[in-house]
Amino acid sequence: MGAQNDTRILYLDNAATTPIAAEVREAMLPFLDTEFGNPSTRYPLGVRAARAIDSARSSLARIVDVRSEQVTFCAGGTEANNLGVIGQARARAGRGKHILVGPTEHPCVRASALSLVREGFEVEFAKLDEGGHLDLDDYVRRMRADTVLVAQMLVNNEFGSIYPVRKLAALVRQHAPQAALHVDAVQAAGKLELDFPDLGADSIAISAHKLHGPKGAGALICDLSAPVEPILFGGGQESGRRSGTENVAGLVGFGAALELADANLTSTWKHLVQLREAFNSGLESTPNCSLIEAGTKDGILPSIATILIEGIPAEVVLHHLEARGVMVSAGSACQTQKSDISPALFALGFTAEQARSVLRFSFSGSTSLDDVNAAVAHLAHVREQLGAHLS
Amino acid sequence: MNTSVRSAELLLVRYGELSLKGGNRPYFERALVRNIKAACRDLSEVKVERIWGRMAVTPERRLERVARRLQDVFGIASISTVRGTEPTLEAITKLSAEVLAAALEKFPSDGQVRVRLRSRRADKRFPLNSTQISQTVAEAILPAHGERLKVNLKQADITLELDVRRERAFVFADRLPGLGGLPVGTLGLGLCLLSGGIDSPVAAWLSMKRGCAMDFVSFHSHPFIGEGSKRKIEQLVSRLARYQAKSRLYSVPFAEIQTAIRDNAPSSYRTVLYRRAMQRIASRIAGLVRAKALITGESLGQVASQTMENMTCIEDASSLPVFRPLLTFDKNETIDIAKRIGTFDISNIPEPDCCTVFMPPKPIIHGKVEICRDAEQGFDLDGLIDAALEGAERSQIAPAW
Repeated sequence: MGAQNDTRILYLDNAATTPIAAEVREAMLPFLDTEFGNPSTRYPLGVRAARAIDSARSSLARIVDVRSEQVTFCAGGTEANNLGVIGQARARAGRGKHILVGPTEHPCVRASALSLVREGFEVEFAKLDEGGHLDLDDYVRRMRADTVLVAQMLVNNEFGSIYPVRKLAALVRQHAPQAALHVDAVQAAGKLELDFPDLGADSIAISAHKLHGPKGAGALICDLSAPVEPILFGGGQESGRRSGTENVAGLVGFGAALELADANLTSTWKHLVQLREAFNSGLESTPNCSLIEAGTKDGILPSIATILIEGIPAEVVLHHLEARGVMVSAGSACQTQKSDISPALFALGFTAEQARSVLRFSFSGSTSLDDVNAAVAHLAHVREQLGAHLS
Repeated sequence: MNTSVRSAELLLVRYGELSLKGGNRPYFERALVRNIKAACRDLSEVKVERIWGRMAVTPERRLERVARRLQDVFGIASISTVRGTEPTLEAITKLSAEVLAAALEKFPSDGQVRVRLRSRRADKRFPLNSTQISQTVAEAILPAHGERLKVNLKQADITLELDVRRERAFVFADRLPGLGGLPVGTLGLGLCLLSGGIDSPVAAWLSMKRGCAMDFVSFHSHPFIGEGSKRKIEQLVSRLARYQAKSRLYSVPFAEIQTAIRDNAPSSYRTVLYRRAMQRIASRIAGLVRAKALITGESLGQVASQTMENMTCIEDASSLPVFRPLLTFDKNETIDIAKRIGTFDISNIPEPDCCTVFMPPKPIIHGKVEICRDAEQGFDLDGLIDAALEGAERSQIAPAW
């Protein structure tokens, strides 16, 4: 990293990953040490590991209001989304082979849907309107009697737009009655209340490392009646839905992180709102930098603030900030091909050049107001410095 | 969940049977208030008021989730999500139209729906009486739905209920079913002998439904049987723990008693004698924790140990009444409940329970009490029971979802 030794690190890329909370680390430690048993074994060392997973599973089930058996633990958000998309589409292939994918899905959803094309599935993408909102009318027009899967994220990872998944669920039931609705809730978990029965989806995917848990742990939560075909085969762990020896320490950390996030949900939200407001008001005095407000109708996740820096490639700003210890993300905007511009930016009418000038700041419960103010000050300096260069 | 529920202010909780309890009613109500608060403690602070012979539960947040949680609280017959407005005829009419529209969403758009309005007027200063409120509101909101609605005061698909109070008026139309029964704890404490099977958790649940708080005892034959069977018992208790505030499990070492019975008693009586020893131990624990009855999952004729004669032999060893809620249940009836309460899949985990240790080739079917008593004279049963109790572990089991 470019940060000098005496530079304080301002980590503002929490949508990419979050630091592990002290309590989470503490909970995990025994399972990286003496409690190393394989949960499938029959002696106490193994059974204790199994109990630890039971407890993490129960935490997750309680928090999203499902039963423990609806939780399939796996190795992170990508795998959970792969299982949600591929596993459910294959299980329903007898009813149809049409898949509808949201306009701004993460590659792990898009790519897993597209991987099914070679199995005869037809994959179609929904649209955003020019305000950055889900175009529900367009969604409905694309729904068919043979649609077997609709995959739609709950929170947009570029702007934090909260999508109206509950409304979409009702439309899916009405217009695509054979379809399962899979929801990537990776960015939402730990910040938004996730109430599975209320959401109306058939499955949701979440990941531990976005909520101060460890990497390599995630979960697919399914309706009990939702058929899911496994994509990994072996010892039949996770009720046969996901074979492979469980990542015990990771799952224990996941459980601890979920409990922590749930206990602090309201206060974290308030804190994030404060941070985003401070960031925004700081930005107002920074020339040529503006917050991108897209898809705000159904709410915005306050942990994400994405800005457009007119005239300067985000990549360059990113590295200048990094030299000052500020870690942010240029996200999907750093791609060079026009065709690679994120669909969200494209829908908002961004040119390729503008899309390359988009920078994402993302906060978490552990980000302080000082961090945000300092980061904005750094941004102003960098902007001034680079502005002078460019002119 | 529809928009009507989303903007609801409070939950109206009806309690069926405890309203029959006459002079004891406040006792049952207080217990229900306690249980409601305990059930929601991880979700939200809740305010509970007794009104209209029902309860108004106002959660600070997460109203829909609290409503679902209350569906697992014994003693509640049904729950309605209630919206509130200013106590003016205009506001009440507007809100009634919205609540009705939301309720209609659940019905197919082409069929006819029977509807009725019911009003109460706690604030007698309100210019209309309750009948007039119903009539006036009905005349204002029903015509918009044309032929689709038919008023039927006797039998309706949607009952729109209006309650006009001094500070606020309330409107609701939905009813989530509750579990019924009586508030857990109002009928005292029971001790359930929990095996890893399908029946005993259901027996515990049914007793809890009738107001028993429940402690659990399980018997463990280590080293004949492994730690996994302990985990299975814990999982079962953690499921049942959702239905009461506190769940304690006593895990009792049982291998030495089984070995002594194997070595000293007629082999055909082994299972019956195991169970007699369990009843003795459970009775002792019940004495310590002030449980008033033992609860088992026995069902008449289901297995060899569950004939009338054998049950007589077994109960003879208990110093407390033995309740058998499943006595007359068919297995399928039990399985239906086990599935509903989430214990079925756990019970099906293939872990042996202690009764399978030294299973006799031909178990007695029509046992005799005298033979049991005689057989127990042949070894130091009391000493073994003391030792088992000495080695018993007590744990508090948190609810699992």
